[in-house]
Amino acid sequence: MSARTHLTCGIDPGASTAKVAVMRSRAGADAELLATATQRIRRRDVRQVVRSTFDEACQAAGVDPEQFDYIASTGDADSVEHRTGHFYSMTTHARGALFLAPDARAALDVGALHARALKMDGRGRVLGHRMTSQCASGSGQFLENIARYLGVPLEDVGELSKTGDAPAKVSSVCAVLAETDVINMVSRDIGTANILKGIHLSIAGRLVKLLRAIGAEGIVVVTGGLSRDTGLMAAVEEVVAAEKQKRRRTHAEVTLFTHPDGILAGAIGAALLGAYRYEQLAQRGTDTPIISAQL
Amino acid sequence: MKCVVGIDLGSTTTKAVLLDLDGHILGRGITNSRSNYEVACAVAREEALTATRFTTLERELAKTGGASTAEIEAAFRLELYLDQLAGLQAQIERALGMLTYVGQRATLGPAAAAVLEAMRAEAPSLFALGGERKSDFFRDVAGASFMAAAEREAELRRVPFEKLSGLFDRAIIDVETTAQTRKFGDLLRRAALRVAGSGDAAFLGSVDRVAATPIEELSFVGTGYGRQTLPFPKEAVRSEILCHGRGAHRVFPGTRTVLDIGGQDTKAIQVDDHGVVTSFQMNDRCAAGCGRYLGYIADELGLGLHELGPLALGAKRVVKVNSTCTVFAGAELRERLSLGERREDILAGLHRSIMLRAMSLLARSGGISDQFSFTGGVCKNAMATKVLRQLVDENYGEEITLNAHPDSIYMGALGAALFALDDVRAGRPAMLPTFATAATLGGAA
Repeated sequence: MSARTHLTCGIDPGASTAKVAVMRSRAGADAELLATATQRIRRRDVRQVVRSTFDEACQAAGVDPEQFDYIASTGDADSVEHRTGHFYSMTTHARGALFLAPDARAALDVGALHARALKMDGRGRVLGHRMTSQCASGSGQFLENIARYLGVPLEDVGELSKTGDAPAKVSSVCAVLAETDVINMVSRDIGTANILKGIHLSIAGRLVKLLRAIGAEGIVVVTGGLSRDTGLMAAVEEVVAAEKQKRRRTHAEVTLFTHPDGILAGAIGAALLGAYRYEQLAQRGTDTPIISAQL
Repeated sequence: MKCVVGIDLGSTTTKAVLLDLDGHILGRGITNSRSNYEVACAVAREEALTATRFTTLERELAKTGGASTAEIEAAFRLELYLDQLAGLQAQIERALGMLTYVGQRATLGPAAAAVLEAMRAEAPSLFALGGERKSDFFRDVAGASFMAAAEREAELRRVPFEKLSGLFDRAIIDVETTAQTRKFGDLLRRAALRVAGSGDAAFLGSVDRVAATPIEELSFVGTGYGRQTLPFPKEAVRSEILCHGRGAHRVFPGTRTVLDIGGQDTKAIQVDDHGVVTSFQMNDRCAAGCGRYLGYIADELGLGLHELGPLALGAKRVVKVNSTCTVFAGAELRERLSLGERREDILAGLHRSIMLRAMSLLARSGGISDQFSFTGGVCKNAMATKVLRQLVDENYGEEITLNAHPDSIYMGALGAALFALDDVRAGRPAMLPTFATAATLGGAA
């Protein structure tokens, strides 16, 4: 292991939010998170948002972009024009999750369009994964639409949902038609808190299925934008608890672990893997960075 | 004037049709649906009444000469909009009052006031004769105007744009779900004064006469999605499938197959030579293939729903869209745009994708063998109709007659009104809409 420390940056453009992490580490070990930045993309040009988030993070860290040993992208590589290299999102999320909770061996990534569960070893190697694929039911995007429809600011959704005492039953599987379901609920005078809780429980049901499918055990790090949604987290815990009561066949114990930087897991993982790759290349004596290589 | 009313409460829009006792259409009205169904129905009916009155006014003015109906209708829309803006302002002020931090109120308040002022200033140009609007619904017109002004003010005053737009989101819900009495006579008089000034006594006289003509509703039938939750008495409800079949058959008597693409479900219906349904297939589980799909895409592009079709018609080629799911198709659209594909070409692909899903539904319901009618909100979209024609040609042959009319969106409401007329003719007791309060009924109101 090199004695030198590496200054790297991880960029995760995402479907709704651009995430940037600036880190110092020794080839990915002894890592320290120097600064982070996130910006909502809304309807703006992704490349521009990425650039401006990157500048914001550099400024917060007091780092000149020239100083970076490696700028790593993950997720949508094309939106990061100034990357040194790219890493597959599954790998970066596993690595980032491990940084946030070193004892965890599973991660649940709940993003705007997809949700996925992955199992990893102590080095962050992905052992198995499962994700929602054909359809966006259970994703963050429609939760956002519904919050807007209900006139609830996104940051209040979680706490409001937790006050629900008789959650509405959400029948529709489709993320888009669920919006109509919600309109029906409002017209039936179901309270906002119970509507949100009903939706959270329906998403949570799908998430727990993903966790069971990969055989998650012990600490599960929740990453992605929805990890900040305390109502969703409570709903997942509720589903797990209900499962435990109902079934004779006992599932493995899982404990959710959330972190304020959970949304940055991909970016953090990319920054760490970037430092590792930089060191590998340096030892091999390759000066030219490999653009877009897959790990 | 005696009439019957049919109302079709859809997931996206609510439609109303007024028929006279001979079965001729007197007026049609449409509004966006919202969580308060009663208000949605009341507004659609109010729009139909307004349309009826303008028809009468046109006849009246044809006799006397003077200002054109188009001109006075534009002025009427402007007056109505200004009234609604006042309602919006009240709700925004209420939302401001509910803010937790007084400091926020102090910065957001003046910004919101400036936004509303800008909206009022913009209003006359929005409703100018021959002006183009993305949509006619207050929510959309006011929303676009608010957001444009809010973006400027947010920049200028350094307040977060999200806080301002959040105020609108909160206020518009209350504006839309509270029944507002439309004082038709007052609005029309204000519009008439705006157009002709106070000097033209003959003109003002005609206007007042028309506004005061009582319209008497003899019977009413409602239909729409989620029949259990409709705000109508049970005896006044007919199934959507029956109403669309009947409406389409009435306008196009040769119809044997009806495709109804609504906001949140798609139905393929087979009818016999009396317009009675013989079989049907329906998708209401997934938004792909329904109108909501196009609505979602329009939101994604920041366009009005009715701009999509004309835009897609400008396609040079059809981009194949791989995603089925609506949300994913939206993401695919963004991705393809950033890769430099033309917006028109992707839109063409999206239209083809939704119509392909409709074709499979049609096939399952028994296919197309004779005249075929396209109804529901999506038939307003010229590109959807064009793609449907192509697909019908490819699959069933070019000799199939495809009936599609921009007014086909009213087929369900028309069918409902025809059922209401049946009730009157059979001498059944009058069934009156429960959503219409005394305030919204009557001549001058």
